[in-house]
Formats: sequence, structure tokens, C-alpha cells
Amino acid sequence: MLPHGQIDELRAAVGAGGLITAESQLQTYECDGLTNFRVLPGAVVLPQTIEQVQAVVRICARHKIPFVSRGAGTGLSGGALPAAGGVVISLARMNRILDVDIANRYVIVEPGVINAHVTQRVAADGYFYAPDPSSQSVCTIGGNVAENSGGAHCLKYGFTVTHTLALEVVLPSGELAHFGSPTLDAPGYDLAGVFVGSEGTLGIATKVTLRIVRRPEMVQTLLAAFPTPSAAGQTVSDIIAAGMLPAALEIMDTLAIEAAEAAVHAHYPKCGGLLLVELDGACDEVEILMREVRAIAEKNGAAEIRVAQSEAERALIWKGRKAAFAAVGRISPNYIVQDGVIPRTALPRVLADIERMSGAVNLRVANVFHAGDGNLHPLVLYDRSIEGQEEIALDLSYRILNLCVDNGGSITGEHGVGKEKQQALGYMFAEPDLETMQLVRCAFDPESLSNPDKVFPRPRLCADKPGPYTPHPLETAGVAEIF
Amino acid sequence: MNATAAITREEAMVRLAAIAGPADTRIDGDAICVAPGSTEQIAEVLRFANECGLSVVPTGSGSKLGWGNPVAPELFLGLGRVNAVREHAWQDMTCTVEAGCAWAAMQSELARHGQMVALDPLWPERATVGGVLAANDSGALRLRYGGLRDLVIGMTMALADGTIAKSGGKVVKNVAGYDLHKLMTGSFGTLGVITEVNFRLHPVEQCARTFTVGAQYGAQLAGPLAELLHAQIAPSAVQLRTAAGQCALDVRLCTRPECLDGLTDQLRKIFNGMAVQEVDGRVWQAREQLFCEAGATVVKGSLLPAELCATADDLKETAVAKSVDVSIVAQATGLMTAALADRRGAERDSIVTMIEQLRERLRPSGGSVVILQTPDALRGKIDVWDCRSDALPLMREIKRRFDPNRTLSPGRFVGGI
Ligand SMILES: Cc1cc2nc3c(=O)[nH]c(=O)nc-3n(C[C@H](O)[C@H](O)[C@H](O)COP(=O)(O)OP(=O)(O)OC[C@H]3O[C@@H](n4cnc5c(N)ncnc54)[C@H](O)[C@@H]3O)c2cc1C
Repeated sequence: MLPHGQIDELRAAVGAGGLITAESQLQTYECDGLTNFRVLPGAVVLPQTIEQVQAVVRICARHKIPFVSRGAGTGLSGGALPAAGGVVISLARMNRILDVDIANRYVIVEPGVINAHVTQRVAADGYFYAPDPSSQSVCTIGGNVAENSGGAHCLKYGFTVTHTLALEVVLPSGELAHFGSPTLDAPGYDLAGVFVGSEGTLGIATKVTLRIVRRPEMVQTLLAAFPTPSAAGQTVSDIIAAGMLPAALEIMDTLAIEAAEAAVHAHYPKCGGLLLVELDGACDEVEILMREVRAIAEKNGAAEIRVAQSEAERALIWKGRKAAFAAVGRISPNYIVQDGVIPRTALPRVLADIERMSGAVNLRVANVFHAGDGNLHPLVLYDRSIEGQEEIALDLSYRILNLCVDNGGSITGEHGVGKEKQQALGYMFAEPDLETMQLVRCAFDPESLSNPDKVFPRPRLCADKPGPYTPHPLETAGVAEIF
Repeated sequence: MNATAAITREEAMVRLAAIAGPADTRIDGDAICVAPGSTEQIAEVLRFANECGLSVVPTGSGSKLGWGNPVAPELFLGLGRVNAVREHAWQDMTCTVEAGCAWAAMQSELARHGQMVALDPLWPERATVGGVLAANDSGALRLRYGGLRDLVIGMTMALADGTIAKSGGKVVKNVAGYDLHKLMTGSFGTLGVITEVNFRLHPVEQCARTFTVGAQYGAQLAGPLAELLHAQIAPSAVQLRTAAGQCALDVRLCTRPECLDGLTDQLRKIFNGMAVQEVDGRVWQAREQLFCEAGATVVKGSLLPAELCATADDLKETAVAKSVDVSIVAQATGLMTAALADRRGAERDSIVTMIEQLRERLRPSGGSVVILQTPDALRGKIDVWDCRSDALPLMREIKRRFDPNRTLSPGRFVGGI
């Protein structure tokens, strides 16, 4: 609980209706989508304007209160997990779409805008907002920016960072700064590029300028059933080697198919590895490419190939895929979602290793992957009520991440490091890498108030590096701009 | 050596030769040029220079050395010896390249497996990977494939104090840690030395055809251009060119061979009534030619895409009134390169006025004009960078954290960074 004086200051900043301090209500905010980490915040504020965000952050800066921004709380790595006794700043009420410029293909939104609402807003003009996390009907643009979220279609269209042109940010000092511009290559360091994916540790995005994309003329979705995920994986490699860049390439294994079927009855064929290929673009091109994809799938031993014949069929296929995580809850009391990345070609090897590792500890792992970019979502199934099993499952999930790193990959493709993978980040990067990242952190947030103790393996202080710094004389004189 | 240096030039030569080898350490005018042979040697040179108070400018081939504010460093750190394509994982469509590798040399290596880094920078034969990144250069392909921010997936860099750091990795999808490579891209050698880069790759464009439509005014092309970008043609590149009072719009179509004729028909429909001519792919080198005009000032403008044609017309008109020759090559993404040459002598201020007016014009929509090349007579009369960002204090703080002694390219960047 925060001292009364500080609570009063917060109330003055956001009004009584924008402040939560009652313990029963605070509990709503004690975790995000990674529910096995829980911390009760000291207070939650729900600002409605940039000025209110600034006022709150200034209070935090003055009293050195840690703060954590929060969108919809769907994050899967504990990014929005509160700091003990700190302030949670929910951006949920800042949810207006401020500007739509079709001619220049951008929109400006507040951070609390729901991802799917951006597309809804521009759909009538024939455009869409490309990054499509499976959680897109609830997660916010602010959260997407912080996590550099992806989605099934980022293989072709890129990630949140690809589509972020400019940001307005409340810095951890409370000051406002603007990064980037609706025009490309604004002079100066690419701070928008650095901020996207910084997981709430560099400040709070209060306005985001997003690029929108022309909706393709045609979209076709194919399902191919293979005996093993590796055969499906080989098909993915062959499709890409043929020079195609499909909109999406997804694989599910037997367990994941079973779960998705139980949850949404997507009518998936029963098989060892199900491949979903989506192609989009101009009609005649899509049709030609679809024939090539079919041929490749047949060559790799697909037992069954189906192309969605209607928008409804297509939607059902995706519904099954997007529901896969939650669906696993139907076949296992508990599960851990992981998010490793490997070079595509390592897929068969890594899958075999995962199978061996899970077999050794008697746990089941369901696999769902964004196969086109090697992003695995192993779902480790376990039962919390069996003593010791949760620890074994957690350990297995971290060892899978290390396996990804050992194979030249990454510990996270889209969910972020957050609270969950801090130690794994230390496995992926060496100390000098982390120290250098810390230089950025310290430039933005010398007091480590913004989402403290996340991402990096251990808390660090922003002591200056040794070496005297003497400002350039022109800089001190304030004329540095002109020479 | 300047007064702040804690070492004589002779001593510095000895120390540097011990790191990089005597054959790769020499004196050129007022500066020492050293060409280390590895990332570790680069880091050692930096640590030494940083400790002794010697300023350092990293250089590739020097093709863009004149960009930014002028710097006269004590040390030029040449990347020429670190120039290998280290790895081409063609099945994963990624590669690892050392920073001193010439862009074209890298591309021809990658082309052996039909792949490329999907970016067309200036002077690919000379420009090095590190230099292209440090200057954040890009060409017409950006429309389809994005810029360096979207293509660079990992990096190794050496900081002023000799720290060697990596960020990103070898996989395209990766959100682990801060993306230091995005910070380094476009930082003009002021934060560290880029030593190695990982790229995501694309297939080489197989079946590409280029078409040109001529017009007297940009305004005549604005409507069809908007339509083209909204249509389902997805051109891989589009540029607007103006020279000698005439305008042209170049469009590159790239698709499966079976589909090219259909796309071409659509293109002709969009430019209904105007002559659509198929031309040689060399028009895509037009941007390079802007830098060849003797005495010309070359600027990079950042515009909203929909402002392109009108801005080009405006610039043309002002130029006529001021007896200035103007040539423009502008990408459909809104990035414009323009060469301005004053027929009545470089010392007149007409070009300065034109640039200032253009800056005023673009300001409200967030645009900017950066000077890339200008005759000495105009230097000092106008700010090279057009940075009015309220993030400048933060940028200075980042510089201070990365390079507290201002060893690297001091003063070259925005706001005197
Ligand atoms: C079922 C399910 C499926 C999912 N599928 C995907 C998927 O396909 N792809 C994918 O990438 N992710 C996926 N996610 C993860 C999650 O939805 C994303 O990370 C999303 O971007 C989080 O958005 P949010 O609004 O819920 O943010 P939160 O969870 O509230 O916050 C996430 C992080 O962002 C920070 N933050 C929030 N707002 C701001 C702001 N305005 N400024 C600065 N920092 C801020 C927080 O501090 C926190 O660190 C999935 C999650 C679920 C539950």
C-alpha cells in the first residue's frame, strides 16, 4: 500500500474515478496472461489523457515509485505484472482512434485501442492493420508496441515494429517526447525502432502512428495433413525455397489438433502434422501459387489436402488455430505456453529433441508453430495437483528455450521476456550485450522506475561508466545545432 | 594530434601498428588511417583511441563520408579488411556479413542461391554494408520490402570503450532484448562501430519489367500514382523523376511470368490515355546520377507519399524563378532525393532559401530535409540536419552513455551529437 499522501496526489492527478486502491479491486490487476506470477500493486490508475499520464509519472518519479503500464493484460510473459507496492497505469481508457489518413496509409491511435478495431476502422476503405496476434480481439496497440507483437501473418507482413511509424511517449521523467514521424527516416536516432519491443521498460506510449496495408484481392487457405510435423516442416522449407512468401504457414501436431477439435470443431483432419498455408495477393497469381503449393505438399506425402471454399470455411480453420492455446486447457488441467524461435531448417532436429526431453520426464508437449518463421509454441501439459509436476514442467519449458538458443535461435519470437524469461535472456546474450542494452535503459530511465526488474536477468544500477564526460563547448553554449 | 590528445602521433602510430599491423596503419594528411583485421582488433583500436582522447571516424569506402556535419578526426578506422560474407544459410534465408563488405560483393555471393538483401542503396559497387547501415540508405525497393529496420535481424558492434556487443540474432522473428541494431542503423558512426550484420533475405526478383510514363507536371501523375498504389498490382518499386522540366513515373512490376501481361494491362488502364513505355532497368540508378552534378547540393526529403507530386512541381517552379537547376528522384514511399545547382554560382543564397522553404512546407506533416552533399561555399550557411525533435535531449543522453568521451564521429550527427 502506498502512503496516504502519495495516494492523494494520484487522486488529484486522475480523479477519484480513475484511481483504484481497494484490495479486492486491485486483485484484478495482480497478473497478466501468465497467471502463475502474481503481485498486488499499491494502486491502479486509469488516466484518460496524456496530461494525466504525465502527472502520474511525475508523481512516481518524484517519490521514486515503480510503475508498470498495462493494456489488456493478455501478455504471456508477465510484462504487465505489477511491481510490489508500485503503481499500475492502465491505458485502457485511452482508446480513441485519433486520425485516419488513407491517402498516406496511416492511422493515429491512443494506446488503449484494441488491435482488431484498427482494421475494423479502415476495412471499408480496403485496408487493414497487418499484425494479428491471436489475441487481437482483446489486446491493445500499446501492449503490441511494447511486445513488438507478431501474429500468424507476420511472415509476409512483418511485426508491430514494421508498422510503427511514430510514437508519442511519456518518458520515465514525466516528460513527453516524439519518436519517428508519419514520413520515413526522420533525422536522428531511430528511437521508435528501439522503443517497440522494449516491454514497457522505457516509458509509456501515449499515441501510436501505425501503417495500414491494402487488403489483397484474394486470400486462399489450404490445409494439408502429413504423417509427422517434420514432413509438414519440410513442405514449409520447400515452399519458401520455391521463392514464395505466403501470408501464413502454420503447423499443429496431433495433440494440438486434438485440443483445437475439442474446443471449436474446426473439422481438421486427424494426422501427425497439420500444415496451414495461406496465400494472398492478386487473383491469378494466388491461383498459380496455390497449384505449386499443392504439388509440393503432395511430393512430401500429404495424405489429404483441402482448400477452404468459402470465407466461412477459412474463418473456421483460423478459429481452430487461434484457439489452440486455450484449447489445450481441455486436454490438460494446466499448461505452459512457450515461445522459442529456431532457424526453419532446424525444425526436425529440435522436434525430435523436444520429444525426447518430454518423454524423459513423462510429460506431454503439444506443438503449435508459426512455421514460416521458425516460431515454436510448445505447450507443456501438466497437472498442478500432482506434487512436483509444475516444477518439472517449468524446468522442461526453460530447457526447450535453451535448446532453441543452442540451435541458433531465440528464447522469444513474440511474447517477450518479461518476468518469465529473465534468466533465459542471460543464456542467449553475453554480459557485454546486456550491459550495452542497459546503456539504453539508463538513458531513458536512470532510476529504473518503468517496469523495473523485468527483461534483464538481474537488477542493475545505472551508475555511469568510468571516464570523464566533458560537454562539448558548443553544446554548453547551446549552439551545437549549427556547426 | 590536437591539444586534448594525451599522446603524440608517433606514439599513436606505434601502438596502432601493434594492434592492426604496420602495413595497415598509415598517415594521411592530418589523420592516421588504421584498418584492423577483425572485430577484436577494431575494439582494441577503439579502446586505445578512447583512452588517449583521439577522435575516430569509422569508414567503409568513404562514399558517404561527406554526409552529416564535417568531422576532422585524428583517426580514420577503415573497415576494408573485415569484408567477408561469413555465412549464407540459404535454406533459412539469412546471412551474416562483415561490415566492410561491399554491397554488390555481398549480393553476388547471395545470388548464387538466388537470394538478395532486398535493398538498393547508392553505389553498391563501393558502398559497404556498414556504411549503408550507418547512413540508413535505401532505394526504390523499399516500397515492397521495407527499409533496413525491417531487413537487419542482428548485429555485432564495438563501442568506444572497446566493448563488443551483439543484439538480435539469426532468426527473423525475435523479440529478445533491446534491438540495439535499430539504434545503430542511421546513427552515422556516433554510437559504435558496426562490425558484423545479420540480414533476412528475399528471393532475387525473377521476372521484373519496368515501365515509364512521362508528363509535363507532377500534378498529372498524382491521380494515377494514387490509383496505382491502391490497385492490386503491388509494384516492387515506383519512383517519380524530374529533370530538365519534365516528369516521369517509373514502375517496376515483378510477379510470376504468367501474370505479367495481366498486370501490364492493368497498369495501362490506370494511366489511361498516357503513353506507358517499357524501359531498361537502368532508370533505377537515376538517384545516383543526382550526386554527379558538379557543384550541386543534394538533399534527402522525407515527405508524406501523397505530397510527392505537388512538392516536386513546387520545387520545379521555384527553381525556375531562382535560376536553379533541379533534378528529383522520389520514391513512392515519400523519400525524395533532389539535386539543386545554381546556374549563377554556388555562393548565392538561393539554394539555402529553397531548402528552408521546403523545410517550412514539409514541417506541418512531420517531414524534413537533410543535406547530403553541398559545396563548401554553402556549408555553414544552413543546418545539415533538419531535426526539431523534442527527443533530442534523450538522443544526447544515449550518446553520452554510449560514448562519454565523444570519441566517435564527434559533432557529425543531429544536434551536434
Ligand atoms: C490467447 C492468447 C493468444 C496470444 N497470441 C499472441 C500472438 O499470436 N502473437 C503475439 O505476439 N502475442 C500473442 N499473445 C500475447 C499478448 O496478447 C500480446 O503480447 C499483446 O501485445 C499484449 O497486449 P496487452 O494489451 O494485453 O498488453 P499487456 O499484457 O497489458 O502488457 C504487455 C506489456 O506491454 C506494456 N505496455 C502496455 N501498454 C503500454 C504502453 N502504452 N506503453 C508502454 N508499455 C505498455 C506492459 O507494461 C507489459 O510489459 C497472446 C496472448 C493470449 C492470451
